[in-house]
Amino acid sequence: MGDILLPAFVILIVLFGLLGSGVWVAISLLVVAAVAMEVFASSPTGAIMASTIWGASNLWSLAALPLFIWMGDILFRSRLSDDMFEGLQPWMGALPGKLLHVNIIGCGIFAAVSGSSAATAATIGKISIPELKRRGYDEKMILGTLAGSATLGLLIPPSIILIVYGVATEQSIARLFVAGVGPGIMLVGMFMSYVIIWSLLNKKRMPGEKEQFTWKQRFHSIKSLGPVVLLIIGVIGSIYSGIASPTDAAAVGVFLALCLTKYTGDLTKETFIDGILSATRTSCMIAFILAGAAFLTTAMGFTGIPATLATWIGEMQLSQYQLLAALTVFFIIMGCFLDGISVVVLTTAVILPMIETAGIDPLWFGVFIVIVVEMSQITPPVGFNLFVIQSLSGRNILVVAKAALPFFLILIAAVGAITVFPEIVTWLPNNMS
Amino acid sequence: MRAFLDNIYRIGGILSALFMFAIFTIVLLQVGANLIDFIASGLTGEAIGLAIPSYAEIAGFMLAGTSFLALPYALRHGTHIRVNLFIQRMGPRTQQVADAWSFLVGFILVSWLSYHAWTLVYESYDYGDLSPGLIAVPIWIPQITLALGTTLLAIAMLDGFISTLMEKRFFISDTNEEIGAE
Repeated sequence: MGDILLPAFVILIVLFGLLGSGVWVAISLLVVAAVAMEVFASSPTGAIMASTIWGASNLWSLAALPLFIWMGDILFRSRLSDDMFEGLQPWMGALPGKLLHVNIIGCGIFAAVSGSSAATAATIGKISIPELKRRGYDEKMILGTLAGSATLGLLIPPSIILIVYGVATEQSIARLFVAGVGPGIMLVGMFMSYVIIWSLLNKKRMPGEKEQFTWKQRFHSIKSLGPVVLLIIGVIGSIYSGIASPTDAAAVGVFLALCLTKYTGDLTKETFIDGILSATRTSCMIAFILAGAAFLTTAMGFTGIPATLATWIGEMQLSQYQLLAALTVFFIIMGCFLDGISVVVLTTAVILPMIETAGIDPLWFGVFIVIVVEMSQITPPVGFNLFVIQSLSGRNILVVAKAALPFFLILIAAVGAITVFPEIVTWLPNNMS
Repeated sequence: MRAFLDNIYRIGGILSALFMFAIFTIVLLQVGANLIDFIASGLTGEAIGLAIPSYAEIAGFMLAGTSFLALPYALRHGTHIRVNLFIQRMGPRTQQVADAWSFLVGFILVSWLSYHAWTLVYESYDYGDLSPGLIAVPIWIPQITLALGTTLLAIAMLDGFISTLMEKRFFISDTNEEIGAE
């Protein structure tokens, strides 16, 4: 331990120095890895860097990444958000909390066609914030439900961050996707229960008007929601049943999204080009971070730091619960300053051997880390959902963060639930064909 | 010069988008082939065995093209993630210094990387490395996208460094305006 402590400390300082001074995440990872290799290894750093980056970039499983990003981008540019509001409100009026549930279910549905939580917040929020405000709903609850449920974009498949985790840790992306379904549905349930309880306790702060919806309206709404629901069932169902790999499902998803937007008249030459170029940029950015992370993982292997750390943690005889509690706190703090993808790739480079030594299932750990990253989306100062909702609502980021606090606590409760009952995560993937 | 460089970055972006479209097409064709096979085996009890040879491998190569050729284009658009938290709170002068520093670090690292990427291409060519699939592709061909993309990114980093020194803003849009990632 002793001979590794100082170099490890220096590497950490270099990393945070680079990140803090504004150097791009991918470049910072590459620089740190190169420095670590120069210090610890006698192998040719540059050659290994080039071949590691190449090896991490031409993977079939990673081809799902640009396609799922593109699918989300197509639907983000469509009228899906209008349809979602129109289609969901006749169904939610009867529940205590009424249209606040539109935020939760709407986010849950959009999360199932998009792998991004900020895109989910933007898509649902651009309609639901003005509509709910106009009807006199409590602003804190509008912003809180939106901020909280939009984080489901990360967990409910397709999930960009689970693809990143799967590629970085060589886990099956299909199994990770399926593992996200159970906890995703559980969180939707927890969010809705909170809204129901809150609205029963705070009847005065709920709008008094009673909107009545007929069954005719409800059936009519199926027309606007049906195609999206079919798209979701098609994508997730084909992965679960084993008919399609995530990459296959992503291509079919893009195709269906194009058909859907063609049908609704949202597909123009401009939106098509905008969508594909934006998806290209985003996916290139993530692939570059992954390439940097792959080289960092290789370099860390040379340093022996992760292995030493794993032994050290092993010797401390922590229980799994203690270890996970410590990691949760650590990730929440990291998530205050870093985006989710960087948190995940830094972790996999250093912490994974420790997880495996402690006997924690890496599949389960993927879902665990995603839920913790979800929390970081709604904690200041860096929380992407907060940024999005700030620009949608014109409310200060701290106001939004305060409104989202109950949902942050619910996410912590969810982490506790999957820790005590890991079957919530593992049951579905273990029963896959 | 400005327009010339921007055109190069944009062409890289468009090529990337074309690669992405190609991945989409090839995967979709294979899914279609699987579907026909499935129906055929249901009807006649025997699958035709339709398959695009090496499609997974080729999709992987095209993914490399998508990822690398758009690097400078994404840089120009401010898509690459960086931690803005601290530098945003500084004065404009400090921000400028931070930008110049970031571009300089990026330029040095990426130039070095691109040198080794070209070496990798040359070695693959020299050894005659072929991809292992049914269609054996000389591996240096797809590797060119890595070398070319990183070279262009190094140029863009230098471009950004000089622009920053000349007090011109390099990024077209606000950093992290893209929301698709998180």
